[in-house]
Amino acid sequence: MFGERAVELVRGLHRAADGHLPAFDEDGARRVLEEMKALYEQNQADVNEAKSGRSDLIPTIKFRHCSLLRNRRCVVAYLYDRLLRIRALRWEYGSVLPNDLRFHMSAEEMEWFNQYKKSLATYMRSLGGGEGLDLTQDMKPPKSLYIEVRCLKDHGEFEIDDGTTILLKKNSQHFLPRWKCEQLIRQGVLEHVLS
Amino acid sequence: MFLSDFRREFYEVIVSQRVLLLVASDVDALCACKILQALFQCDHVQYTLVPVSGWQELETAYLEHKDQFQYFVLINCGANIDLLEILQPEEDNFFFICDTHRPINVVNVYNETQIKLLVKQDDDLEIPAYDDIFRDEEEDEDDSGNESDGSEPLGKRKRFEEDVVERTMKRRQRREWEAHRREILFDYEQYEYHGTSSAMVMFDLAWIMSKDLNDMLWWAIVGLTDQWIQDKITQMKYVTDIGMLQRHVSRHNHRNEDEENSLSIDCMRIAFEYDLRLALYQHWSLYESLCNTSYTSASLKLWSVQGQKRLQELFADMGLPLKQVKQKFNSMDMSLKENLQEMIEESANKFGMKNLRVQTFSIHFGFKNKFLASDIVYATASLMENIEKDEPGTDNFIKALDSLSRNNLDKLHQGLELAKKQLRAIQQTVASCICTNLIISQGPFLYCYLMEGTPDVKLFSKPVSLCLLSKYLLKSFVCSTKNKRCKLLPLIVAAPMDVEQGTVIMVGIPPETESSDKKNFFGRAFEKAAESTNSRTLHNHFDMSIIELKMEDRSKFLDALISLLS
Amino acid sequence: MSEAYFPVGPGLGPEENFLSLEDILMSQEKLPGRAEAALPRLAAVLGKAGAGAGQSDSIPEGSKVEIPLWLAKGLYDNKRRILSVELPKIYKEGWRTVFSADANVVDLHKMGPYYYGFGSQLLNFDNPENPEIAQTILQTFIGRFRRIMDDSQNAYNEDTSAVVARLDELERALFRAGQKGLNDFQCWEKGQASQITASSLVQNYRKRKFTDMDG
Repeated sequence: MFGERAVELVRGLHRAADGHLPAFDEDGARRVLEEMKALYEQNQADVNEAKSGRSDLIPTIKFRHCSLLRNRRCVVAYLYDRLLRIRALRWEYGSVLPNDLRFHMSAEEMEWFNQYKKSLATYMRSLGGGEGLDLTQDMKPPKSLYIEVRCLKDHGEFEIDDGTTILLKKNSQHFLPRWKCEQLIRQGVLEHVLS
Repeated sequence: MFLSDFRREFYEVIVSQRVLLLVASDVDALCACKILQALFQCDHVQYTLVPVSGWQELETAYLEHKDQFQYFVLINCGANIDLLEILQPEEDNFFFICDTHRPINVVNVYNETQIKLLVKQDDDLEIPAYDDIFRDEEEDEDDSGNESDGSEPLGKRKRFEEDVVERTMKRRQRREWEAHRREILFDYEQYEYHGTSSAMVMFDLAWIMSKDLNDMLWWAIVGLTDQWIQDKITQMKYVTDIGMLQRHVSRHNHRNEDEENSLSIDCMRIAFEYDLRLALYQHWSLYESLCNTSYTSASLKLWSVQGQKRLQELFADMGLPLKQVKQKFNSMDMSLKENLQEMIEESANKFGMKNLRVQTFSIHFGFKNKFLASDIVYATASLMENIEKDEPGTDNFIKALDSLSRNNLDKLHQGLELAKKQLRAIQQTVASCICTNLIISQGPFLYCYLMEGTPDVKLFSKPVSLCLLSKYLLKSFVCSTKNKRCKLLPLIVAAPMDVEQGTVIMVGIPPETESSDKKNFFGRAFEKAAESTNSRTLHNHFDMSIIELKMEDRSKFLDALISLLS
Repeated sequence: MSEAYFPVGPGLGPEENFLSLEDILMSQEKLPGRAEAALPRLAAVLGKAGAGAGQSDSIPEGSKVEIPLWLAKGLYDNKRRILSVELPKIYKEGWRTVFSADANVVDLHKMGPYYYGFGSQLLNFDNPENPEIAQTILQTFIGRFRRIMDDSQNAYNEDTSAVVARLDELERALFRAGQKGLNDFQCWEKGQASQITASSLVQNYRKRKFTDMDG
């Protein structure tokens, strides 16, 4: 049956729950495009035959055409959903992705991510009368200027003001300005402690 | 130096700075830490908190962070040793020390610049006078100058002789002064003891600044209760401090007789209690609690067959059927729980237990949540010394610290369950030690060694648990022995600490008497014995009466101790 | 759950959402049909290749076929020149009666798992029973909704796999939404709503890392 590999593409992505980004199925995508090429060529040949009399081929041509559309739909939806997930990464994780995530993205997707980052940065800079506003901060309404954080793993030195640094050692606790910690918390280095 | 105005000389100094908090691993320190954290969060003081379990960790933490901070606050560590000598800090580093360990090292007392003690100057500190222990260097230099070469004219010669006499006099004076100094220091440093709870000191600071909350008051109560449970303070001090806290409790927790203005059941309330000193009894069964509390277990001698019989008689006297007392306390019949405390007290009196009830406090929030201060102490301590998973010490510290917050009830419950296991382990170990006569008299002290392979011995590689075991052991031994002299002896307990490294942890506790002043001389004794035998020892704990040493050096170390103390 | 990932959801009614992964999977479900014209050169594709030589690779007119929904929609027209479709049995009268008796008893996951989505799509094929089918689907939903809502609002921190096992995909999405609401509320009540959390995307990657090392 045509379109089965295409559906597998979609199924694989759908199985990755919670917006998780699995590795790009290079192999799968290629196979789907190959099937599309084959279908298209078969149809071209059959259309010529149909023009010269074999009108009984028309249902077959239609059949293959539906399959072509189906394959296209699957691939486009696959690519689109992955972009949605990559976009979410910028908002939830930050502008620098860890290496294992980067290996999951195709070169084009990486390029898209960089362009998206730039657009977002440009937009954020233009807010507030040219002063700029970081929209990716304070995703939950803040209750205080300073928060208590606990270090979940050794992270080394961390600069908090011009020049002053603190040492982030596992299990040490710190009371710091919220805006400095938010990203490290989202990246899982620090834990926000509520008292 | 001692600070007199904690608010001005401590808090207002650091409120605009970043601070490194170094906190020791005991419940009182954790409570003091929570109060201070609450104050810092209120005033947006940026701080970093690093747990330290001994001198080595303290040193390491200091070295790692010294370039990033100028102000350091030490809680329950640092007072009883020459801190500047150990840390060799820069001149612009300041140390605020809030520590219950006494005696306070004299260098710390008289340093005017870098060491600031958050300790109330009471009479019982008995600090030696400055001139008795410190001497200006200049006076000595005068002596070493003026060496004559003999070829002096006669007039000068006479002066020279006078000089010699003068110098001899000065040298003798100096020797006398030094001898006197040694004596004074020896007297001053001989006995270790503990001062006012650090948590109470911090609460006091909060109160002075009118920033005290009911939650902070509760932590102060838990800190004090920890000192009482660990036998660190005298009964009198405990009662006095309870009195002080009682005033604050009344202030924060008005008893609302008026229905209209009564608080919601969910609000946190602290109440004064004159309750049974049975460990964890409201979260356990009465039976288990009676068996595993040292006071009752020792008085009734529950390790013996007669002891068990006495226990049954006690329950019968109280009119409590065995089936009921073995049930979870909350499931006991309501009718039996009415007047339970008075009933038990009366019956216990008949069996020689006159002090079954003790003054303490309890906390309530919500319908289900009621805890006595001692419950919290046991739970937190057991979380801190949890051996179940092989996690690093700092993980346990963090869990224990978290369990002190009211919105981490699950951790508190976990702690309660762990505490039950630990108390049972302690009681079983005590029973077996007594029954197998493992406690032997070495002359000036009693000695007990827990061998490898003893059940639960891993638990006793931790200092607080080992100390608790020692105290229970001594109490029980005193009740069990007929030897009048042995009843007055102090006790040393040793247990394997790290089997791979072949180390042993040893703790010494003072004798068990009714009016004990809780002063412990083992700190200095251990030091001297180690020196004289060249044993490989490590004085890592902030309490000097706890020491680690190599297994092989054990016997010569003990022999040295015996001769030292005889 | 990820807070910034907003996938394209399934369409409502007779229209699918082109980019919805759910709709793509739903439209992969099969239904029975009949070839109204011969389909040359497609025998192998539909698994009807003949055994002997001389057999054509054509699917003869009148053959019964089982094809995915997307193909059925593509080949169908109201004159039925190429394909006619039949109702899958759970949408036929027999089962419809069962549903109307007590919708709650049925295991819609086994029957589906896209009972509502697929059923809505069936209305594209002008079947005279369409009004009844539509009615049954609607009534089934109405009958089951109350219990799903109750369950999702009352199961806190529990294992809900038994409850969820008998729900179709639409109902599962509803259930998840209900649970999220409940969890968010509980979180707010505990004062944790303002707690910054590590992105769920990160936590998953860290877990993955360990299994990679072991494997």
